[in-house]
Amino acid sequence: MTNAVRGRPRWGAVARKTGGHLVRGLVMVWVVATISFVIIREIPGNPVLGQYESLIQKGMSPEQAERATAVLYGFLPTGSLWQQYLGYMGSLLHLDLGRSLSTPGVEVTTLIGSAARWTVLPVLAGTLLSFLLGVTMGVYAAIKRSGKLGDMLALSGSLLHGVPVYVIGLLLTAIFATLWPILPSGGPVDVEFVPGLNPGYLGSLLQHAVLPVVTYTLASYGGWILAMKSNVVAVLGDDFILAAELRGLKRGIVFRYLARNAILPLFTILALSIGMLFGGSIFIEEIFNYPGLGLLLVNSITSRDYALMGGTFLVITIGIVVANIVADLLYTAIDPRVRSGGAA
Amino acid sequence: MKRLAAIAALAAIATATACGSTGTTDTATAGGVYTTIDGSKQINASAPINPFNPVGSVFSGYNGMALAWPKNDPIDPNQYYPAIASSWTVSPDQREVVIHLQPNARWSDGEPVTSEDVRVSIGLAYTQGGTAYALDPKAAGAAADIQVVDGKTIRITQGANRSSMFLSNLLSTVVVPAHVFGRLLPGDFWSTLKLAQTGSGQAAERAKSRITGLAEKVIGFAPPHDVSAGPFVLERVNPGAALLRRNPYFYNSRAIAPDKVKVLNYTGNEQIWNYLISGRLDNAPFTSVPTAVMERIQEARGSRVVRGYSPVSTAMAFNQAHKPYDNAHVRRALAYLIDRAQVTRIASPEGGTPAATTSGIHAKAARAWLGDGFDRLDPYRVDPAKAAAELRAAGMVLRGGKWAMPDGKPWKVQIHVPASFSDWVSAAKSISSQLVDHGIDATVVTAADYTLYLGELADGKYDVGFWLIGLGPSPYNIFQRLFGQANGWQMFGGRLRHVAPGTEGNWMGGPQVVDAGADGRVDPGELTARLNFASPQEQKQIVGVLARIANQQVPVIQLWDYVNTQFVNTSRYTAFPPDDDESLRLSSGVWMQLGMIKKRQA
Repeated sequence: MTNAVRGRPRWGAVARKTGGHLVRGLVMVWVVATISFVIIREIPGNPVLGQYESLIQKGMSPEQAERATAVLYGFLPTGSLWQQYLGYMGSLLHLDLGRSLSTPGVEVTTLIGSAARWTVLPVLAGTLLSFLLGVTMGVYAAIKRSGKLGDMLALSGSLLHGVPVYVIGLLLTAIFATLWPILPSGGPVDVEFVPGLNPGYLGSLLQHAVLPVVTYTLASYGGWILAMKSNVVAVLGDDFILAAELRGLKRGIVFRYLARNAILPLFTILALSIGMLFGGSIFIEEIFNYPGLGLLLVNSITSRDYALMGGTFLVITIGIVVANIVADLLYTAIDPRVRSGGAA
Repeated sequence: MKRLAAIAALAAIATATACGSTGTTDTATAGGVYTTIDGSKQINASAPINPFNPVGSVFSGYNGMALAWPKNDPIDPNQYYPAIASSWTVSPDQREVVIHLQPNARWSDGEPVTSEDVRVSIGLAYTQGGTAYALDPKAAGAAADIQVVDGKTIRITQGANRSSMFLSNLLSTVVVPAHVFGRLLPGDFWSTLKLAQTGSGQAAERAKSRITGLAEKVIGFAPPHDVSAGPFVLERVNPGAALLRRNPYFYNSRAIAPDKVKVLNYTGNEQIWNYLISGRLDNAPFTSVPTAVMERIQEARGSRVVRGYSPVSTAMAFNQAHKPYDNAHVRRALAYLIDRAQVTRIASPEGGTPAATTSGIHAKAARAWLGDGFDRLDPYRVDPAKAAAELRAAGMVLRGGKWAMPDGKPWKVQIHVPASFSDWVSAAKSISSQLVDHGIDATVVTAADYTLYLGELADGKYDVGFWLIGLGPSPYNIFQRLFGQANGWQMFGGRLRHVAPGTEGNWMGGPQVVDAGADGRVDPGELTARLNFASPQEQKQIVGVLARIANQQVPVIQLWDYVNTQFVNTSRYTAFPPDDDESLRLSSGVWMQLGMIKKRQA
């Protein structure tokens, strides 16, 4: 078999593989939906009392608190667990996730859709930025590993990898939003700007995204740089690199060989990270008041909003399952060894 | 890489442009933008502009209006400032209330505010239930009849089972425009309501179901835009803030200084602290603040703290169904061992004052209710000798410097608190440390969240836990926290019953009848229920008896009384309410309605 034939994708096999992935993915979604349905209804606690007491603590009179609580929790699901489960699955087949308890009268899909918008911007931008930065710096750290630059890059990765995301977030907030207030830290955009494609609104959107994106980038950068450095160092010792150097290939071409082979495992992690973004980043969203999916999930758990909890879990699950499938297919596309079904 | 660099450069330019335009938005006007937060709820941009929705984009005092606003009176819950109602008259027994509306009140679309608006608002309130608008005719304080006298006057009559809170509950009614919300009530609503209240049998039950069945529709109703009778009207809302602009039709528009109000959202107290430290907020309602943060807030230019009465106290409550807390001597002993001043200093130095004693009432209200009687209550000053005597009277034994149960088994005091309440956790730690110093093995156990905490508390799983008490100004609300549902007394259909400890939410597990010394044998739950309809003189007498019972029986140890700590910033606006003002617990929007808050002149 020639190299050209070996490199061509076998579409029948790819389609079979994709079909298999989809079926497994659907089964996985059903299993997770079932498990989360049971688990969230078994969470201990009294949401009605919790809501009433919280409102009192916020200064509401007992009468007002009682009214508000009665309104909120007048629609708790009824019937046996089995009946509720059948109803839930029936609705799910019609893509109906139900109505929220904590935001009465509003569909769960509306809330998730609204939160997803605000999660995607900081987390996706942060993931991609940290990936680009980490991978590039990782290659340099590996090549210059015996020099000061390499040491410093590796040290920066180790340090940032060890600092929890909330510490970075709080530190950046303290510096850039409180001590030296040049960047906003509350909310995704200034409400004074009319939403739309106008410079003021877009500028405010970007301005508000700076701190969350930088926090996410710094928090994830360490992992990427360390992984990339280690991969590059491993590849540097491979025979094909030695052969390329001995054949006198240009440095740029050798660098491409190197990067392409070292980055392969990181693509899988990147695809999974993008899938995970639907889980939001709870700490970043909390610190910067970014109303994303992570915050939505936490609030739904606190208020025991079963429909919203189930819906959010489901979206996160689907995100991860889809990311897994994409990662697998992507690997097939970019790695000839996998595409040919055996060793290169 | 070049493409990436170009994108990064473009993003940097856009950000720089945005940074440059931060202070010059399209809303910079003469009256300025007043920035605040809503202490009662977080902003939910997906929620409708509907005051019946608990998270709706309606902000009390700004674009949300009630008939009147409650004053922060320590003992009289019927003291109100006029709002949509300019005045009201009430018969001495509160059987009949006549409400007169502001003659110049208009909605933000120019329509006049009429009695029909109030009538529709009351109709909608019936779908949600509530004290004054209960469908059960036997419920205490339920309205029996609503009559429109003329375009600006409405008469409301109380049912046979009277409540002294009737006026207060009526005046709290939120008013919405009939021409927007009226369509939610079916044509036969009022006849259905009559049938539900006065009918019998299945027809009455069906009528009740029809009315309560409207609740979800009312809550979910989303008007396309805001129509407000308040000083402001909602312009737009996003997850970070709500923007309200001035309503030119507001009946007292001349009193309103700001052109716009920005209500910022928050996910936790830390964000409010950051807003305050950076001087962004013109006002923030009560927020729990540690001393170090308070110092930094006060360093902000124009920052000021206004303090006033807050009718809430924190207490450590006992489950009297569990030994040895069924014994009043043990509870009293613990009260003699806890240094409340030290606990308050550690847990809530800015937001609380140490409880002068345990009476179930905030000290300010207690003085007003009890007069000299307050000083005659046992103050429970720290006294280890008295504590030891009480423990011995309970049969507890001291072995090797440690107190043990009467049968010699170890006594372990577990104090439960929700992990998310840092002040309660600090207080519990301080108490456990003090008890350990006095030979009592005490530990703090935290629950993951408040919902879990209250669930386990109600299930009777805790021996000792923290509990809010003294919810004034209504005396019924105050003592209902000690001798109400949590302690076994339940009011259902106008009838009071006592349930056994450990059932139906009775986690305090106290006895139904107690020996109240000179007051004889007393059913404190029954006395508490009587506060609902007693005359002011009778109320005073009952409050005296219940305060003495709380002091002698110690179902809870009152730790500290809350202080309403408001933050204001006078850099942009002045004329904020002074310390202890009766309007302090109301929103800035109400302060503006009352003629406060003026633009600072350059």
